[in-house]
Amino acid sequence: MKTYIKKFSESLFATLKPQEQLGLFLHSEDSTFLRFSQSKVRQNTSVHQHEVTLQFNKEQRTLKMRFNLTLDLTHDLQSATHLLDDARVQLMQMDPHPQFIALKNNGQSETFKKVDRPADSEIPGLIYDTYKDTDLAGFWCSGPLRQASINSEGQFHFFETDYFFLDYSLYNGPKAAKGYYSAEKFSMAEFEAQAQATKNKLNLLNRPTQTIPRGQHNVYLEPMAMAEIMGTLAWGSLSQGTFNKGYAPLKKLKDKEVKLSSKFSLTENFDLGYSPLFNSMGELSPNKIELIKDGELKTMLTSTSTAKEYNIETNFADISEAPRSLEVRAGTLETKDILSKLGQGLYLSNLHYINYSDVQTARMTGMTRFACFYVDKGEIVGPIQDLRFDESIFNIFGDNLVELTKESSVYVSTMTYLKRDLGAFKTPGALIKNFNFTL
Amino acid sequence: MSMQTLSLSQELPKRFNSFFEQQFNHYKNKADFVAFKMISETTRDFTVRNGNPDIMHTFHDIGVLIEIMKDGHIGYGATCELTTDGIARAFTTAEKMTGISSQFPVAKFDMSVRPKSVGQFKSSRQTGLDQLSAAEIYDFLKKTSMKLKISDKIITASAEAMVIECRQKYLSSQGANFEQDFNIIVSAFSATAQDGTETQTRSLHGGRGICLQIGSEFFNLDNTLADCEQTSREALELLTAPNCPTETCDVILAPDQMLLQIHESIGHPLELDRILGDERNFAGWSFVQPQDFGSLEYGSPMMNVVFDPATSNQMASYAFDEVGNPAEKKYLIKDGILQAGLGSLESQFRSKLSGVANSRSSSWNRAPIDRMANINLEGGSQTLDQMISSMENGVIMYANRSWSIDDYRRKFQFGCELAKQVKNGKIVGTLKNPNYRGITVPFWKSLAGLTNTDTCETYGSPYCGKGEPSQIIRVGHSSPYALFNNIEIFGG
Repeated sequence: MKTYIKKFSESLFATLKPQEQLGLFLHSEDSTFLRFSQSKVRQNTSVHQHEVTLQFNKEQRTLKMRFNLTLDLTHDLQSATHLLDDARVQLMQMDPHPQFIALKNNGQSETFKKVDRPADSEIPGLIYDTYKDTDLAGFWCSGPLRQASINSEGQFHFFETDYFFLDYSLYNGPKAAKGYYSAEKFSMAEFEAQAQATKNKLNLLNRPTQTIPRGQHNVYLEPMAMAEIMGTLAWGSLSQGTFNKGYAPLKKLKDKEVKLSSKFSLTENFDLGYSPLFNSMGELSPNKIELIKDGELKTMLTSTSTAKEYNIETNFADISEAPRSLEVRAGTLETKDILSKLGQGLYLSNLHYINYSDVQTARMTGMTRFACFYVDKGEIVGPIQDLRFDESIFNIFGDNLVELTKESSVYVSTMTYLKRDLGAFKTPGALIKNFNFTL
Repeated sequence: MSMQTLSLSQELPKRFNSFFEQQFNHYKNKADFVAFKMISETTRDFTVRNGNPDIMHTFHDIGVLIEIMKDGHIGYGATCELTTDGIARAFTTAEKMTGISSQFPVAKFDMSVRPKSVGQFKSSRQTGLDQLSAAEIYDFLKKTSMKLKISDKIITASAEAMVIECRQKYLSSQGANFEQDFNIIVSAFSATAQDGTETQTRSLHGGRGICLQIGSEFFNLDNTLADCEQTSREALELLTAPNCPTETCDVILAPDQMLLQIHESIGHPLELDRILGDERNFAGWSFVQPQDFGSLEYGSPMMNVVFDPATSNQMASYAFDEVGNPAEKKYLIKDGILQAGLGSLESQFRSKLSGVANSRSSSWNRAPIDRMANINLEGGSQTLDQMISSMENGVIMYANRSWSIDDYRRKFQFGCELAKQVKNGKIVGTLKNPNYRGITVPFWKSLAGLTNTDTCETYGSPYCGKGEPSQIIRVGHSSPYALFNNIEIFGG
């Protein structure tokens, strides 16, 4: 693909006229998706998808045109030329773009990563053999994913990673426990150990179900539950542009009306290695951007476009200003002490369907999901019926944050809407007091 | 209208049509069952903010999904590599993985799940979207965006339109041969007002709630300008409005909130693949059990809900689902009693339950699964004035802005952009930050009134998410105003 996209882009740059600029952003994947239910295959889909976005700049105007590559150079150049000819006409019928950014050469880089994993053909049998004594629902995803940002000013960044994940849950009737496996090197021992750990958690659900009244309870959020909250926080809350346009859940934090716990720090950390450092414009982000440090908001994700509009500094966030590699700083709570420190409360493995219920107070609502337990005297009593929470981030990570765990977990993005998503969350678990449940 | 167009949207399917048929004929006998589906879709996604161009994107998406049945198991290969080598690679990979997967199948289907359907469908339209130039769309959005900016307190005035031309062609070794041609518009007009620490956003029927199959006649500037002015006035009004109170009272939900209520608490729990457990790890399961069909009292006797893919201009109208099942109207809930689920031929085969034609995928790169299409609540007998007059104490809520429901589709909490307070049968004021919560079946049993069919409004969403790998799908929902008794409401 690298050779193809290089040849394709060079051929296209040769057709540009004076005062025209062209950028290309490539997303390419050869993916294997295996969907399981009852530990058996429901659907297998192999996807070969290669799309390129052309950013055409002329006279302070910009048009982005995305289309799929067939990998037939003659045909693909014909399509691209067609689009550029259309763009030359259309752009001049529109107004200049106030946030127009001229393309520049942001350098060259090439990154190739490949994890050691079993052949796709082995996976249906492996999953069935490992989980045939239970009921697994979920999916396996594997294969190479590539991104590139190239432009007519000489820039060439190419990133390729070949990885896998298994995202699943196990069932005993309506009782369920969540599992997840992804690694730099597939290890059968590790894979079997995590399978057994999920099965063990499922067994804990056989204890009598506890009915918990609405109101405030102390909780422990497992890293996967924390990742759900971070996922919602990532949806516009950390974007400078969105903030300036009026969607500002963290406004009180930014205005220093509230302060979070000094134990809470949030960093965009590309050193995790799951995302390329370059954005779709080819701009290189700093390796680490401290967003919240010791409870105070330090900066927001700011694209060059937002920076230009509001006359502020860019930190080379992508145009969406969504985090691509978010890390919550770990704490000091030892895993062995989680239940005893919780004492009496709720152990929440997962949360589900979180959304802001009041943006101005950063209040989120969502549900408990999968293996969640009532804990008393530092011991698991039994599973709980699902509860709805409605609570402000300013409380969760403010005065009510008791402690974060020493150990963190990394979750490679399992998002596959339209195409596979790159990126990851790294987060510890969190002990939180007086978490508000409403239904 | 100008004749100028994005010519690639017409040229690409033409360029690949004979290649597609030739490739299908080459492979059609190479497995127990083979089908090829080609999807070609052009989207122009434009946003104008505060009178200036903001997002100016076009997307030409074309690719082929290959379906292969081996020993009763169906697997898929998808590619945009529309070359002889590319199709060969997709077919070979899919055939190999389908063969291996067929040793561990959830179900073994027969040919009844892939009917031999032949025909065509074309969205209702006066003038095709291919006749609409980018400049015309831009001009419309610029004028409406500027109309939204009625005050310096409006900090963001945004006008958006997604203009979509989609063509599907399906050929199968069973003899299916059908084509569908969709013209779709999704649009949004919103104003965000700010004064001091208060910020409020009001939009025309919610974020991207305006979703229709329609031609370029959609762009009626005079009507939209009037709507935009009203939208901005309401945004300003919200800045000084009191918070919605916390109490239990009667609630009227406007059609632009009912779309979400129907979608989340009727549509999703009735999907048979959820009931069968396929979605348990991602979107979730369902409180509905297979034995509930025909007997579950889902809501009040005035509740009649249909799956209706034949409604003119609604977002998800079609003649066939994506495996060729002919689509027709069906009651899901009749007089409050659950009748049928949203299950494709595959889910019907597995569950032995009655279903509908709803095997759909987001594009050529995803396998079809059970989806909603147009799910509509039928109208009642009241006028809106009569309904309001009957309220002693309550609120009317408009346009969704927040949504959350559990994985069994029971406990929900939804928020709206604006509410009107009603006292003794009269509207007495505007409320900000209205929210309500409830549990699905008790909530629908509290349905106490529906306005008449003339008051039904049609909306939808382009972003219904589900599936592993994940997919978004376009859905349509039509509803009257609906009155519910004794609902928990609260503010910000």
